[in-house]
Amino acid sequence: MELIPILSTIILVATISTFILAIGAYILYKTRESKGQQVIASQPKSVEAELYTPVIERKVQGKPAPDYVQTPFSTGYKSREPIFAQERSQVQTKATPQFQRYSGEKKTEPVNLREKTYKGQVAPIEKEKKLKDSKFLKYTSEGYVDPKTDKSTGALKWR
Amino acid sequence: MRKEQQILKSKITIPLPESSVEKENEEKKYLRRILVSGTISLILIAIILYVTPKTILNTTSLIEYATIVALVIFLFILLLRYFAILLLAYLYINEYTYKPVNGFYPFVSIIVPAYNEESVIAESVKSLLNLDYSNYEIIIVNDGSTDKTNEVAESLVGYHEGRNNEIKVSLINKPNGGKAQALNAGIKQSKAEIVLCMDGDSQLSPESIKVAVRHFTNPEIGAVAGNVKVMNRGKLFTDLQALEYIEGLNMARSAQSFIRLVNIIPGPIGLFRKKAIEGAGYYSSDTFAEDADLTLKVLANGWKIYYEPNSISYTEAPEKLQQLLKQRYRWTRGIIQSIRKHKKLMFNPTINFGDTFILWTMFYEALIWPAMNIAANLFFILAAMFFGFTEFIFFWWAGLALLDLVTALYCVAVEKEEFRLVGYSLIYRMFFILIIDVSKLMSTIEEFLGIRMTWGKLERVGTKKV
Repeated sequence: MELIPILSTIILVATISTFILAIGAYILYKTRESKGQQVIASQPKSVEAELYTPVIERKVQGKPAPDYVQTPFSTGYKSREPIFAQERSQVQTKATPQFQRYSGEKKTEPVNLREKTYKGQVAPIEKEKKLKDSKFLKYTSEGYVDPKTDKSTGALKWR
Repeated sequence: MRKEQQILKSKITIPLPESSVEKENEEKKYLRRILVSGTISLILIAIILYVTPKTILNTTSLIEYATIVALVIFLFILLLRYFAILLLAYLYINEYTYKPVNGFYPFVSIIVPAYNEESVIAESVKSLLNLDYSNYEIIIVNDGSTDKTNEVAESLVGYHEGRNNEIKVSLINKPNGGKAQALNAGIKQSKAEIVLCMDGDSQLSPESIKVAVRHFTNPEIGAVAGNVKVMNRGKLFTDLQALEYIEGLNMARSAQSFIRLVNIIPGPIGLFRKKAIEGAGYYSSDTFAEDADLTLKVLANGWKIYYEPNSISYTEAPEKLQQLLKQRYRWTRGIIQSIRKHKKLMFNPTINFGDTFILWTMFYEALIWPAMNIAANLFFILAAMFFGFTEFIFFWWAGLALLDLVTALYCVAVEKEEFRLVGYSLIYRMFFILIIDVSKLMSTIEEFLGIRMTWGKLERVGTKKV
């Protein structure tokens, strides 16, 4: 026997069964629903309610943000995490570390941009911007630096 | 999770800011309905009486001919609809990029309406505390639950350890008044510029706020629709619904998003600019699809609506056929009520062309499409049983199944969903959609006859983990 007539019969029976199932289930649903029919009450103008809020108000709620906050730097680092997010800085979050003044004693290298920024250093983007502005640059073991910055370190220079 | 904290309990009066809709005179309404349908019937009878003597066919042949013509038109519309949606969805995916907006972290209030959700509310709030966003609060609105929702929700009030910082959870305990009223109470209590409305049984993915709020940098965007996915999979009906959400709903939403005219912001996840909701007159209780109604009102006010596929809400889908029918019955009647409520916009494209277009597509999807699908299936059954054309139904099924298979493959690939769902596309149209369409048709008839209905409550099994 050919395959198509068999499949056709199966589909025909399945479709008829689905129809019967759908109509039957619908009738059953309506019968059940009609038992628990309720009258829709009219809506009052106001309603009394109880509000439960935690007592201590913390600075979690930020001020309503402006429609659009301009990004502080536009140097092509769009895909990175915001460094100086204006709204975040106002919020005391667990992730925000305490501000610490930079002391030259610590020699540990910052892990990422964010850490570098938090420790009071100039952000790399800012540094880059400053370097672009200066006319002459000096090449040191740390790469190109502004000669003024280099002098301010106070170290003895070879002449 | 929560430290020992003092909870302040206070009595508040919440004004219900629903836009006042003038109640229509019931008798007048039904009289108008009878007059309109009677006139259309008379016109049709007059056309038939005028045309019949001029044809060379007898009555039986005429019926056969008319059916075949109707079927060809149906096939044409079906293909046109599919390809139009696929094309727009494809264009949307091409256009879609993830570009974070640095420095834009507006304060967001998450409104969680709950009615008898004792088994799911805790999990739902737990998912909200894991959101990858810092500037938000959670407002639970207990809408007069009769179970232990109040006790569970009360235990959740306080500052909780969130993913990035401590998150404030508040509770509003109010008498039962429906989902729209509960959401309005939460929105009124919120001080945020953006509100996220969701269902009490839904769970959000960690990045759902972060990816959605960035669209609000565009001042034209009034709301962002999220992506709803089925949480409780593994059963026939829930798997079929999972496929339907991906293939039927999300694809259409992507297509609509390309023209920034999403017609329904889903109840399980929708972010709104608060002033857009205020301008639209908040959620209304006069329809059973308050989300569709509010979306239409927001669109009518000139706002654009975007769809964000990475803003995901996992929801519990009905597992039993009875529950599924109950849900679809409410959706269909709610959508018809919303269309009727905005009929002025439907017939006057000069007010807001976008709304007119969206309303006609909704009308087609809710009323015409199910009727056409049922009629086509009936035609093939009759052709097989009385005229011996049994093979027709096979080719009909094969054509539709192939179309669904290709679409399912595309949608599963785009959404990075479970591949096994593709297999369900073989029974999707002939089994699942047929059941849904029968329910839609019956609901439409009931709505037309004005049979009273209630909201009903779906049974929740309390799926724990996403």
